[in-house]
Amino acid sequence: MWPAASTWAAEATAVFVKEWRCELRTRYALSTLALFAFTTLVVVSVSLGPLGVARSQGSAVLPVLLWVILLFSVAAGLPRTFVQEEESQTATALRLSATPSALFCGKLAYGLTVIAALEALITPVYLAMMSLPVRSPGLLAVALAAAGYGLAAGSTLVAAIIAQARSKGTLFAVLAFPVLLPLLLLAVEITRDAVGGDPAGVALTQLILYDACVTTAGLMLFPAVWNP
Amino acid sequence: MESLTKTILPWLLWLWLVGVILGAFLYAPPAVGFRGSSRILFFHVPMAWVSFVAFLAAGVESLRYLYGGRAPRHDRSAAAAVELGLAFGVLATVTGALWAKVMWGAYWNWDPRQTSILVALLFYAAYLALRAALEDRETRARLSAAYAVLGLVVAPFLYFVMPRMAEFTLHPEPVINRTGKVDMDGKMVLVLMSSLAGFTALYFWLHNLQCRIAELAERRASLEGDRP
Amino acid sequence: MIHPGIVPLVPATLRFDQIRRRFGRLAVLEGVSGAVSAGEALLVTGRNGSGKSTLLRCLAGLLVPDAGTIEYQEDGGTPLEIGERRRRVGFVSPDLAFYGELTVAENLAFFARLRRAELTRGLDLLDRVGLPPDRRAGALSSGMRQRLRWAWALLHRPRLLLLDEPFQNLDAAGERVTRELLAEHLAGGLAVIANPSSLEIDRVAGRLDLGR
Repeated sequence: MWPAASTWAAEATAVFVKEWRCELRTRYALSTLALFAFTTLVVVSVSLGPLGVARSQGSAVLPVLLWVILLFSVAAGLPRTFVQEEESQTATALRLSATPSALFCGKLAYGLTVIAALEALITPVYLAMMSLPVRSPGLLAVALAAAGYGLAAGSTLVAAIIAQARSKGTLFAVLAFPVLLPLLLLAVEITRDAVGGDPAGVALTQLILYDACVTTAGLMLFPAVWNP
Repeated sequence: MESLTKTILPWLLWLWLVGVILGAFLYAPPAVGFRGSSRILFFHVPMAWVSFVAFLAAGVESLRYLYGGRAPRHDRSAAAAVELGLAFGVLATVTGALWAKVMWGAYWNWDPRQTSILVALLFYAAYLALRAALEDRETRARLSAAYAVLGLVVAPFLYFVMPRMAEFTLHPEPVINRTGKVDMDGKMVLVLMSSLAGFTALYFWLHNLQCRIAELAERRASLEGDRP
Repeated sequence: MIHPGIVPLVPATLRFDQIRRRFGRLAVLEGVSGAVSAGEALLVTGRNGSGKSTLLRCLAGLLVPDAGTIEYQEDGGTPLEIGERRRRVGFVSPDLAFYGELTVAENLAFFARLRRAELTRGLDLLDRVGLPPDRRAGALSSGMRQRLRWAWALLHRPRLLLLDEPFQNLDAAGERVTRELLAEHLAGGLAVIANPSSLEIDRVAGRLDLGR
């Protein structure tokens, strides 16, 4: 009926729409994620505060904490995309119906939008609460986009892996953090450059390369992870 | 004839390693300016080397499992490689920390190589945690193989990113190997190379044993298994 | 895609041979074999825990057997790969669940998009099994859930139906409708039915007793 390419896109879109439709009717993930991120943010800023951290060290330390908050928020909220399917037993119906690559991309797109929303919410609040001026906001936006993508891609694949195991809560963090560590380091480096007004170095190229590698690995490995 | 070599080879290995130990303490001189503590180099470097070889082996065996017919022996081989990688990696980290304490007064310096082995340990531990959380044999093999391949894809980024990260430490340290190699004389090189060969052979021998044990355990489980 | 109304020249067949599957130390299936062709139904019987559901899951491609072969072919061609088989079968099972936050119609529309089936088919099936399209799937009774499972299984006009306790929780009207659907299906398709609640099913090709 339709050519193969457009129906693959239709499948991925259908998954994406389904995720958001279910999410908007329960508001579970968004509210938990946002609340977790905000609470962590408040804890960090209250402990450090604009007065607690010396100005000279602020530009070195604060970017790290921003990414730690984002990383932990993602770990708290994103695995649900796959864990929920297994726990409510809808995974069987999905396994028998969906093309794995379309399913992966649909879930990845959902994760991306969630992370984008999270970053848009948390970053300005963080910068304001920590009184951290950013000299190259454009570079910061690029860092958020590129690293946010990497977070989504890596987390989606690891979520699919742990969803079929026991003790999923702690297992996600244990498996995801080593995988996401290079991403974290690169994101912090670029964010520091953005804060200091330096041009993006080789770190940005490496981050984009990392994103490409994790995406490729995800597309290749997901069918084996998802189906026996 | 084959059983003869099987009995003789472990003894030869044992003799070789005894020779290496004797050579390390009696034959090779201490490195210039390092006193006797440098002898730890003859054991620490091969252990770290073996740990990384194991990482690579686990990744390759996992690929063979996933894309080479899902043969259980590849899964057993990958798991054995990770277990040995963890064991050697822990030893390498501990010996490295002890030497660092003697050399520079601190157990941990965030030297890129120190950090790399630590992250490798995190990957190993995560892999084994995943296996422990999966009961079904087929699922366990498939998902841990996928994680090992993901680790293999991501690990090189740490290799590129880590050395730049060292610039951010407040106390940059000289890298152990570089200083060692510059001052190493012929005897030291000989002992080091012999130790590397011996430890590599030890790894392969232990790996072979581990695979055989795992296979026998599986066969026993299937023979004395319960009936529903 | 098979278009309705076109009768294939070579009937579809399912053949499985010496299927073995264990879970840990528990050997659930130990060398199970059977075959069924278009127009026939294979009944699988046995006590609880004898492996009926496990066998059906293996046939559906949800589990890979430790040993043995499964060959399903449509149109006399080469047997389908497990991924293709997975997408072609119609599967009904007690642990099949749908998205509680979506309505029944939305659930079927979603799966119709995934399966590239006509979107109207979902509504037709809902009408047939007697489910209100705008009811939230999470608010269904167990009998209505079973009707939804049937509707979902038939969405893409499968030629092979794998039914695990297919009439469970259905009232008399529900059982009548689903039996009609099964009879219509068996006109051109094949089915493997596990643990049928009552053993009166037409066109039974054989019985596979897993015993114990």
